[in-house]
Amino acid sequence: MAKTSSILGLNARNRLFLSLNKKFGRRIADSKLLTKKILGKYGLPTPKLYAVFTNPGEVFDFPWETLPDNFVLKPSSGFGGEGIVIVKKKAKWAGEWYLMDGSIINIGELRLRSLDILAGQYSLHNLPDKAFVEERIKIAKIFRKYAFQGTPDVRVIVFNKVPVMAMLRLPTAQSKGKANLHQGAIGVGIDLATGITTYGVVNGQWIKYIPGTKIKVNGLKLPFWDNILTLAIKTQEVIPKLGYLGVDIVIDEDRGPMVLELNARPGLEIQNANLAPLKKRLERVEGLEVRDAEHGVKIAKTLFAERFADRVMAEEGIKTINVWENIKVVSAKKEKVELRAKIDTGAWHSSIDKNLASKLGLLKKDNVLWTKTYKSGLGQEKRKVIGLSFYLAGRKIRTIANVSNRGSLRTPVIVGRRDLAGFLVKPREG
Amino acid sequence: MNIFQSIISQAIVNGVSVETIVLLLLLPLVVSIVAAARHFIGFRGFGILIPATISVVLAATGVVNGILVFLTILAVATFARMVSRKLKLQYLPRMAVVLWFVSLGVLAMIFIFPTTISIFPILILILLAENFIEVQIEKSFREAVQLTLETLIIALIGWFILSLKSLQQFVLTRPEIVVLVPLVFNVILGRFTGLRLFEYWRFRRLLRR
Repeated sequence: MAKTSSILGLNARNRLFLSLNKKFGRRIADSKLLTKKILGKYGLPTPKLYAVFTNPGEVFDFPWETLPDNFVLKPSSGFGGEGIVIVKKKAKWAGEWYLMDGSIINIGELRLRSLDILAGQYSLHNLPDKAFVEERIKIAKIFRKYAFQGTPDVRVIVFNKVPVMAMLRLPTAQSKGKANLHQGAIGVGIDLATGITTYGVVNGQWIKYIPGTKIKVNGLKLPFWDNILTLAIKTQEVIPKLGYLGVDIVIDEDRGPMVLELNARPGLEIQNANLAPLKKRLERVEGLEVRDAEHGVKIAKTLFAERFADRVMAEEGIKTINVWENIKVVSAKKEKVELRAKIDTGAWHSSIDKNLASKLGLLKKDNVLWTKTYKSGLGQEKRKVIGLSFYLAGRKIRTIANVSNRGSLRTPVIVGRRDLAGFLVKPREG
Repeated sequence: MNIFQSIISQAIVNGVSVETIVLLLLLPLVVSIVAAARHFIGFRGFGILIPATISVVLAATGVVNGILVFLTILAVATFARMVSRKLKLQYLPRMAVVLWFVSLGVLAMIFIFPTTISIFPILILILLAENFIEVQIEKSFREAVQLTLETLIIALIGWFILSLKSLQQFVLTRPEIVVLVPLVFNVILGRFTGLRLFEYWRFRRLLRR
């Protein structure tokens, strides 16, 4: 049974996590054009841009006939997929196109829609907006029988450069082709370790099959899974002002994963789609030292693998370490002090030298948890047990350790079995 | 006699209406209830001011009259939106057409059921209609109806509190309590990060696992 405190509710999301999204970051996420510009600058893939309209004059001057056979007209600051026109292909006459549902749209109607967008009809608080035309995503074949008249996308929530949860969003007839759960799209949980879908939810109800079909929601293996996770992390790396970020990624048949848009206030239904609590995961990766995107992917895969994934991921997520490792101990002043430690599978608790602990300020009263009598080869001894945080092979380990006099021994710290879950110890070098 | 009490009696001596004072003093309490309805229970409603103002409107017009006008406005606005969508107008002119319908609709209602309702409550209710339409455009009809119902429920609770005779008297005798309690309450409320009541239902399968 999941604890109440491990689920992310709106109160906790708004107060604890959305505050990590600074004003400038939110501005980027709320403008699809700005998102495109910034991601493009760093070479991250987004759909190709054909035209931008900032005033009505540009809408009338634009040579609509020169557009490719299919394209999408969008508001830059729209939300929930409103105001978007998806053009499927050219119709019989010049200046007319088919929409996804088979109806026809002409240049006049496209112009009117563009003017509506500029007037702010689809933007937050109806502020004046920009309109743009971009390439239409060619839905990857694997999704074709899953999605109704729209483009499915993958929502990845990234926090501290770790993808903490992901879901596939499938448009339905009810959502009118939009991949928005509020409008009736299906959310399907994805196992982070393998990219295989798990559970489905639509309108707050759990489903096993795509409604009206015999297609199972679970068991679909998403293509380019590692690329998707890496792309999501890299997006946060270039926009660090979005500390808690939802990245929406589409998979194009030809071009692979591309970032469609960002969300600075990602919703909570993703927890129902994955049947997993989010807050626990966020707390788990908080403060981890993540070197780069690959590292972040690895952490996510190790920490958040579905149980069925254990076999598939096998060794990939388990870190191999040597008997002698450099670790970084966090001092009372939150400074990281690098030192050598022995990995000791013969001990249960980790242990730290008294002089060292005192020098790091870890023997202060509020950090000493209790004093316990230990039996060792040297007889009985009373030792203090303290709270200890250290980094081992890039993972932050928050644990308890006993304090002893290790002055005459080779390392000031030993790391015991209690803190070695997820590691494999190599008995000798080489 | 504390400072709050002396200010109030002075104001009454100077001719400020008792009703105004009571409403002003109770307003923080009502908005606190709106805030609590959102953060503890999970009611969304249209922001904080609209449910609170509707409470005051209902207190001023009487609950039956107020809801009748409100429902009229909503019905007319929804109808007007469907009609105006066909005209393919730009946003503001289209909104103006909707409000044209709403004005005439309310006028017609007043002719049919003559009431003494004044223009300001009506205007406030029309403001609400705009919100309702906005949500319809931005989200969906279902969502708009749901939000409107939630707004009405909160407003009715607010109205109930505003019209409690004993509370009205209490405000005048012990104003400091009615003034300070909402302040403390909201500081606590604003730091609350637990699940909302409705979220226990929403995440029920997670909780069971």
